[in-house]
Amino acid sequence: MTRNALTQLRRGTLEYCVLALLRHGRQYGFELIRTLSESDGLLVSEGTIYPLLSRLRRDDLVTTSWQESEAGPPRRYYQLTSAGERALADFSDEWARFRDAVDELLTHGEGDEQRAH
Amino acid sequence: MNNVHTDRLVEDYLMRLDAAASVLPTARRDELTSEIGDHLQEGLREIEPGDEAAVRNLLERLGSPEEIVNAAVDATPSGQILAPARAANGYAIASVLLGVLWILGIGSVFALIFGYRARREIKNSAGNQTGWGLATAGIVLGWIGIAMVFLVLLGAVTLIANSGGSGGTPVPIHTPQPNP
Repeated sequence: MTRNALTQLRRGTLEYCVLALLRHGRQYGFELIRTLSESDGLLVSEGTIYPLLSRLRRDDLVTTSWQESEAGPPRRYYQLTSAGERALADFSDEWARFRDAVDELLTHGEGDEQRAH
Repeated sequence: MNNVHTDRLVEDYLMRLDAAASVLPTARRDELTSEIGDHLQEGLREIEPGDEAAVRNLLERLGSPEEIVNAAVDATPSGQILAPARAANGYAIASVLLGVLWILGIGSVFALIFGYRARREIKNSAGNQTGWGLATAGIVLGWIGIAMVFLVLLGAVTLIANSGGSGGTPVPIHTPQPNP
């Protein structure tokens, strides 16, 4: 049950985590995924980020550009668009409210239980 | 440059990805496979040639090809998802045909070989191939055909034995007796 809830949460928030990572500048896929992997519990399988990035690009939240790398083939860099920045800002507000509401209920519920005993 | 065995692991992974991605529109499929290919190349650059454990870890962290394709399907408008090209397995068709043709049992032998091969391929295709029933029919016909070969051989042997008995030189012991 908790597992399912976490899966849903992860699914819903992952794209904003990706947008947030791009806030400080463009990154290429491998680099982005490495950073995400370091955040505990965010990423289950790294490969699923690519379809997500593809959708963000189609939704014009990010743009991509190819850049030569010092070693190996050129890399595809992802960069936040202004629409992406707006989406991220909106989500940040909503998320703060959502998180506070859930926290409030969770801690409040705990209090009730203690009172009932 | 790289170890053959670890190359094989990566190759197999990409082939599975390609097969699973057949449900995606061509552009999306090409994009996905090239992104994953680039990712693997990037990851392999940090791995000592032939370090199988590291390669396996890299692949495992990516997730299974099916999982990735499922994520891509979720991210694609449903109208663009192609029904998997569920073609019947070629060996299954060949198996049934050869099973029917029989060709003195030669067809049956090939019907069996192709039939079992078809079933193995269909099982591995993860729902992309049909023809399980056909392959099974081919296998059944194949075994019937083989049985028929034995029956025909048995019949021939008895026939030869009988005709040899009546027309050949050693006359049956009892036949002369009613004559006197």
